[in-house]
Amino acid sequence: MAYTQPHPRLSVLSTSSLPPSADYASPTNSSTRFSLASAPSLSNTLVGSTKATSARPSIYDRNLNKTRFTEVSGSAFAFLFSEMVQYTQKRVSGIGDLERRLNTLGYRVGVRVLEMMMFRQESSSKNPKRETRLLPVLMLIHSQVWKAVFGKAADAIEKSVENADEYMIIDNDPPIERHISVPRDMSQLSCSSFTAGIVEAVLDGLGFPARVTAHNTPTTQYPTRSTILIKLDKIVLEREELMK
Amino acid sequence: MSHHLFIVSPSDSPLYSLAHYSTKPTNSVASPLSANLPSWSTSAFAGTLTALSGASSVTHHTSGGGVRMGGGQDRHVIQMIANASLDVIEDVMRKENVMYLKSVDKFNEWTVSAFVTPGNMKFLLLHEGKNDDGIKSFFIDVWELYTKTMLNPFHTAHTSIRSPVFDSRVRASAKKYL
Repeated sequence: MAYTQPHPRLSVLSTSSLPPSADYASPTNSSTRFSLASAPSLSNTLVGSTKATSARPSIYDRNLNKTRFTEVSGSAFAFLFSEMVQYTQKRVSGIGDLERRLNTLGYRVGVRVLEMMMFRQESSSKNPKRETRLLPVLMLIHSQVWKAVFGKAADAIEKSVENADEYMIIDNDPPIERHISVPRDMSQLSCSSFTAGIVEAVLDGLGFPARVTAHNTPTTQYPTRSTILIKLDKIVLEREELMK
Repeated sequence: MSHHLFIVSPSDSPLYSLAHYSTKPTNSVASPLSANLPSWSTSAFAGTLTALSGASSVTHHTSGGGVRMGGGQDRHVIQMIANASLDVIEDVMRKENVMYLKSVDKFNEWTVSAFVTPGNMKFLLLHEGKNDDGIKSFFIDVWELYTKTMLNPFHTAHTSIRSPVFDSRVRASAKKYL
């Protein structure tokens, strides 16, 4: 008999549509499960499910300023991020490549973080402002961007002594590295490259092109301490000089 | 009175455009040059030429006998004015730390107002009358809609916006404020 083996796709739909009952699985009923008679119930579930998705409000109907209950749990993020790192690691040839790809992934997040965060801050103000000077932008990244992404401000921001175009943002305990221990043979790898990508996107969006990298700078007190190194483009410094 | 909205990406590629014709009365002034302009209507570039020479209210009589609007209202002229104002906007946005740059550029009867989002996306609006507060509210609405659009993981800074919902929301906002 052709219908003794239920079609895998049908079985998923029909079992989910029917209430679980004791006689449902009995052999007398199972023959009618995939006959024509069950077709209406199948189409009902299909219609029902499309209705359910269209009834879900589109992004355009949702309020961007509602931040309560929209936080993502830390473990869910840690799981997702570990998958991202593993996925990326399978497709690269070295640590530099891996960091660059993580940076690109972070960049995609950063452009959205910037626009969304500024919208939440400025859309209700009378005269929405955007930052045009370097130092306020760095402070914005250190406090607001970090708060929007990680829920806390970064621990320090420093200017390089040797190079005028380098700034460092230091996080003693970056939340994205909390559940990651890097193998010894990959000790140069810093998964905060993802964060570096976010920072790079924010700087780029505000008109401060820079190359941003992440480095492990562990101390005895903070073994996962990492430094986000910002190397600003030449034109940024020239412009700052002119605006003084 | 008409309004023309353009959304331009940081690399200056157009992502979305909208022409809105409102029923509210116009209060633009006629250009004095328009009266003594020869009729160029046979030339392919007539619209551009008349627009550039400052004639706003000249009307051409097409061969079909119908009257169409003067050169300054032609689609390609409007696009050119919008793109030309990008230079001025990029100058101003470095100095001013506001997102809404009102009446940043003028060309004949058109005034260009702009809105620069934090992510360097530019909204340009060509308008004839003065309506600062309305335009600001309109821009904030467009900004909200744009922010929602870009939250889509498949949207990049270079993909043009084709969502019918986005379009209808922008139109509704234009009807409300412009």
